[in-house]
Amino acid sequence: MKKNRMNIIKRLIGISIIPLGTLWIMLAFCSVRGVILFESEGNYIAFFRAAAAVMLTTFALSINLNSGRFDFSIGSISLLSSVVSATVCMKLGLPVGVMLILSLILGAVLGAVSGIIYVFIQLPPIIVSLGVALLFEGAAFAFTKGYGVSFVTNIELISFPGILNYSLVILIGLVAIIFLFEYTQFGYEYKTLLSGQKVAVNIGIKEKTNAILCYIISGGLMGVVGFITATNTGNIQIALNFGSIGVMFTAFLPMFIGGFIGRFCNEKIGYLLGAVTTAFISLTYARLNVSSSVQQIVTAIILVIFLIYLNNENKLKQLFMFDRKVYADKEQK
Amino acid sequence: MKKVLALALCLMMVGTLASGCGKETTENKGNADNIGITEAPTQEGEVTPDVTEGAKKVEIDTSKTIKIGVLVSDATTPEALAFRSYYTDYIQKQYNVEFVYSDELKDAAGEKSAIDTLVTNNCKAIISFSSFDRPAQIEQCAGAKVYYAVATGTLTQEQYDKYKDNEYYVGAIGPSLEDEYQTGYDMAKRYIDLGNTNYAIFGGAIPYFTDMHIYRAAGMLTAMVEAGGADANYLGATTKEAIVQQIYADSGIQTGNIGSLSIVAYVGGYDMNDAWFAQCAQMAQTKDLQVILAVGNGSDFFGAAIKGADVKIASVDAYASSYGDAMNAGMLDYLAGKFSASIGPVFAAVYSTVNGYPIRTDEGYALALSQGYWIAASSDEFQKYYAVDSSKESPAYTKSALDILVGSDYKTFSDFVSKYSFDEVVQLSK
Repeated sequence: MKKNRMNIIKRLIGISIIPLGTLWIMLAFCSVRGVILFESEGNYIAFFRAAAAVMLTTFALSINLNSGRFDFSIGSISLLSSVVSATVCMKLGLPVGVMLILSLILGAVLGAVSGIIYVFIQLPPIIVSLGVALLFEGAAFAFTKGYGVSFVTNIELISFPGILNYSLVILIGLVAIIFLFEYTQFGYEYKTLLSGQKVAVNIGIKEKTNAILCYIISGGLMGVVGFITATNTGNIQIALNFGSIGVMFTAFLPMFIGGFIGRFCNEKIGYLLGAVTTAFISLTYARLNVSSSVQQIVTAIILVIFLIYLNNENKLKQLFMFDRKVYADKEQK
Repeated sequence: MKKVLALALCLMMVGTLASGCGKETTENKGNADNIGITEAPTQEGEVTPDVTEGAKKVEIDTSKTIKIGVLVSDATTPEALAFRSYYTDYIQKQYNVEFVYSDELKDAAGEKSAIDTLVTNNCKAIISFSSFDRPAQIEQCAGAKVYYAVATGTLTQEQYDKYKDNEYYVGAIGPSLEDEYQTGYDMAKRYIDLGNTNYAIFGGAIPYFTDMHIYRAAGMLTAMVEAGGADANYLGATTKEAIVQQIYADSGIQTGNIGSLSIVAYVGGYDMNDAWFAQCAQMAQTKDLQVILAVGNGSDFFGAAIKGADVKIASVDAYASSYGDAMNAGMLDYLAGKFSASIGPVFAAVYSTVNGYPIRTDEGYALALSQGYWIAASSDEFQKYYAVDSSKESPAYTKSALDILVGSDYKTFSDFVSKYSFDEVVQLSK
């Protein structure tokens, strides 16, 4: 009973230490500069938007990356799906909800294209995804003749940003992903393939179908990310020559954090908390007007420190356990 | 017999060489006093928008298709697309030229590689919209014996002094830094005169030390210092030079009071990440903010954030339809925009040079001509400019207007370029 309670406490600490610790540090930085981190509704909206977009991007990246498929095309999927959905909704005068659904569907379709190309060409996923990224960037350029899409004057389509809407996106996204990966046959097969592809294939799991489904889900999520980004400013700028790749890098830190938190709870909840952690950091950058060069340095340092910790965790544990053992021996004497 | 034949052949060769040398001399001088230069032919009934009385020009052989390389560091903004459209959709159809565009360049190494590709592709000249390392571009082009010109920009005085007598450097035509400064100054002055006191500045590429953005911002700050009262200053700076220096030192703009006026918020860069979007929204929603002065595109980044607030946005960019919509909806209040055909004269200079008639100053130096913006302060003005600027059949500088420049003398050329206001340009093209 006591052991059980200790386990729960340990898990709670493991789940919350990084996001709460980060929040505490960010609040401390802000108070030193005389700034309130969450001062206005706009600050909350910025926080929830960042958490929603980063969480979905992290899901999208991790679905394929956990299976060894590095997917550089997710940014271009978000770009092309939002470009097409925004253009259609502007031309037909459709409401913002339709744009969200359209973005999701288009993202899934583009993800399917990406997955089918990967499965049929059978080249390393890095190469295939780079090619697909160029293809989708070029398609977005051609579709808009390079001008991108500006719907800044369309009040309906820029009405989405809000705490409630972003919270719903987070909630629905999290529940849907947990359901898909924990409670469906696809999810079981996905996990089986992760634990040993050869055995999984030998027992009848179709790895190609599973891979395409992963790309479809990843694409759908990136469609929603594209929607969130586009409706934030009412403007979509075209990226060329791998300009869309940057989106995926926003997901690395939360993915590593999520991987750590995932030891204490569902990994997907870990990704959400990783996204929340990075959203605290992003908001602090904004509130303190931190220059982009400093932002990049700080983010890189956090990432490196975290990776150093993860790679040397056992050594640290050994050191810590050794100290405790020595201390216990001293106490006994 | 053999000796006579050999002597005759030698004489023929010498004669040929001599005539070749003679031709080279006359072609390369290319000013109005040269042999072979004729008055501009005027046919009865033909409209000849001659800007200089007594202007002289040469007739050149344009039978060969000339490949011209174009270096671009931006391929997706409205300004870049409008420029490209003017060259590929209009100029290429009117003249015997083929434009070969580079990819979107990211750095000086990319420029070097792109020039190599264009030279290999048999381009006789390169027009550059990319400014990572202009001296290296000029030297590389000169080394490859390919002509080089700068579009919509200028060299620094130091760079110009170094390369002005390089025969392969055709010159630069575009807003000078003085023009950029004045553009920012006029923009801020307009809102100061309207009684606004609280400003936010969007610094665009100031953190990356982009000269034109720094000078536009310096113009804005100088206007505020001048209007802010007796002791008004920007971090102690009161002159244009000192303010420019301060912006370079900070690679940004500090918020605070400038006498009776206030800079209540500032955002720079184009990070496009969550923190940057949050900064933009935060800036647009700053309490008591009245005007956002943007050194670049303002309405696309701040338009949605100011909805419902009485905040005006002023931008510097180009005449794109999205800005027309923003102006019509009241999200954009003021636009200083480059017109797409403003890159026509630099093409004419390159075209003339490649065909053997370089247009140089009276001292034989490369061109260094300034050309500013069209200012739209209302939706009606914007639509008037946009109609001309976006036309693919009859743009601001038509072929008949540019024909004045091809093979012309320096005075004709510089007079033409200096008349860049909307009314003057429309008049020239009529």
